[in-house]
Amino acid sequence: MSMQTDAEIFDRGYRRYDGERSGISTAMRSVWLNSMQRALGLRRKFRFKIVPILTILLAYIPALAFLGIAVLLPSELVGETVDYAGYYGLISISTLLLTAFVGPELLSTDRRTGMFGIYMASPLTRSHYLVAKATALATVLFLVTLVPLLFLLLGYTFVGLGPEGFANTMALLGRIIAGGLILSVFMTLLGMAAATLTNRQAFASAGIVMTIIASSVLANVLFEVAEVRDAVLLADLGNLPNDAIQRLFKTSEIIDVPGWQSIGALAGVLAVLATIVIWGYQRMEVTK
Amino acid sequence: MTQPAAGVAEPPPSVISAAGVTKSWGTNVVFSDLTADIPHGVTGLLGSNGSGKTTLLGMLLGLHSPNSGGLTVLGEDPAQAGGDLRQRIGYSPEHHNLPPDIAAQDLVRHVAMIHGLPKREATTRSSDALWLVGLGEERARPVGTMSTGQRQRVKLALAIAHDPALILLDEPTDGLDPVQRDGMLELIRRIGTEFGIDILLSSHLLEEVERIADNVVILNNGRVIASRRIDELRTGKGGMIAVIDDSVDAVVASMERRGLVVRAERARLRIGGDQPVEQMADAVRDAIAENDATLRRLMPVQQTLEDLFLDEVYGE
Repeated sequence: MSMQTDAEIFDRGYRRYDGERSGISTAMRSVWLNSMQRALGLRRKFRFKIVPILTILLAYIPALAFLGIAVLLPSELVGETVDYAGYYGLISISTLLLTAFVGPELLSTDRRTGMFGIYMASPLTRSHYLVAKATALATVLFLVTLVPLLFLLLGYTFVGLGPEGFANTMALLGRIIAGGLILSVFMTLLGMAAATLTNRQAFASAGIVMTIIASSVLANVLFEVAEVRDAVLLADLGNLPNDAIQRLFKTSEIIDVPGWQSIGALAGVLAVLATIVIWGYQRMEVTK
Repeated sequence: MTQPAAGVAEPPPSVISAAGVTKSWGTNVVFSDLTADIPHGVTGLLGSNGSGKTTLLGMLLGLHSPNSGGLTVLGEDPAQAGGDLRQRIGYSPEHHNLPPDIAAQDLVRHVAMIHGLPKREATTRSSDALWLVGLGEERARPVGTMSTGQRQRVKLALAIAHDPALILLDEPTDGLDPVQRDGMLELIRRIGTEFGIDILLSSHLLEEVERIADNVVILNNGRVIASRRIDELRTGKGGMIAVIDDSVDAVVASMERRGLVVRAERARLRIGGDQPVEQMADAVRDAIAENDATLRRLMPVQQTLEDLFLDEVYGE
């Protein structure tokens, strides 16, 4: 005889929580993870995954092509194509698109949807929040600024075209990591600064792209037409981090100025961008 | 279930205590002298729009510091304790905006985790909290597809999932229809009474505060103009009404000699004064006896929150 049960639980009650509560670092990690999931469209509808997937794939196409060539062509021909420093130029579009998409998504959206207020009513402070968000954005950008080059290094090493000896490999690895870091930090701060200035995601995204394009056009017009000194090219924000990276890889620099000027200009731009973010968030109202 | 866990320190006598708090935004003075002790239970924070209710909630969360004066929440200074204190507070903001494309349970779990709950506990409790607010079946739905009433419930779940000691609710019935409003008020009352969580409910609706709150704090012109238990309203400060058959003028004169304030509407006397209700009743009895008048009816007037609000704000 089968028993039919119609029992349902209507009230699951309420339990007090007496266990340990984790500290601020766990809260920040939760924001970091949640932000990365959001940026990559995870646990969201498919349409939110399209842009991050396409822009990230775009950054791997040159690496796959180079490795394909390395496997198919004689090694003496392939040797000419191993140019790690040049790879940063190839990923500039995907880095810019990913920053324009993810930066505003992580910051502007929080303010527009009231999540920023909910975060500020939690143990997080503005500083914790910004550090967690910056780390999330930089981590996502590593997928285009760091991982493809590591993939390339690994691939070349497997086919026997990697650097000779452990020391050279470590030196190249260090440069790749530092290069990825420079580009990611620069784009993270640019993305965050634009997203700080407006709650509208589209405006912030357009602002990021326009800043890069406008600074490049302006710097080159001044250089070519007005024949201003080479240093004016430091205002080209698209090339500024790449110039530092080229110097890091000890290849020919993009901007013909002394190294200290290039590094100084980069540090100055980073400081301005960080100031915009910190200033903007310090004066941002949560409740009033 | 609602008892404090063993080993937990005795809670402070007041949940919130403010002494001479001042706060300005530039030249705009929000609080000139905010002084109040808010006891345990459900407390309604009343005030007209712009009276500083939301600013006060921000100060209780430690998001704004007072310009001067002392403020403690759960026995701690919010400006100093900061995150440690906010870990024990649940907050439901006034706005209805929430990330539209995130499932309710993911959102509640995330907020519980940033309040210090381990992932497994946060997952279980977020589900429980959503069941509790009546959204158990809807917990996997993106918040953006929910009605205003459902989003208000999600905000309540956000506030309770991490088991706070105090919940701050900013206009929790805003945008709800009467049926939804009743349900929300019932739920808030239940959280405050059955679960032992203290609640500060900001509202500009007197009736809903009167229905569910144990205490009321009324803000006006940057000051607390009234802070008392709701049941004290019903114990006589509203005065008495007496209906007599004859000698109205003489009885009124006798009452006024005894310090009562009387307004006669033919045989119906509205009696007020500063005396406690027992003394007032004695004085009424004596005045009627002195004039050999016939008393038809004598009853205390229950003061409503609206009476109190109008008295305190407009002096009517």
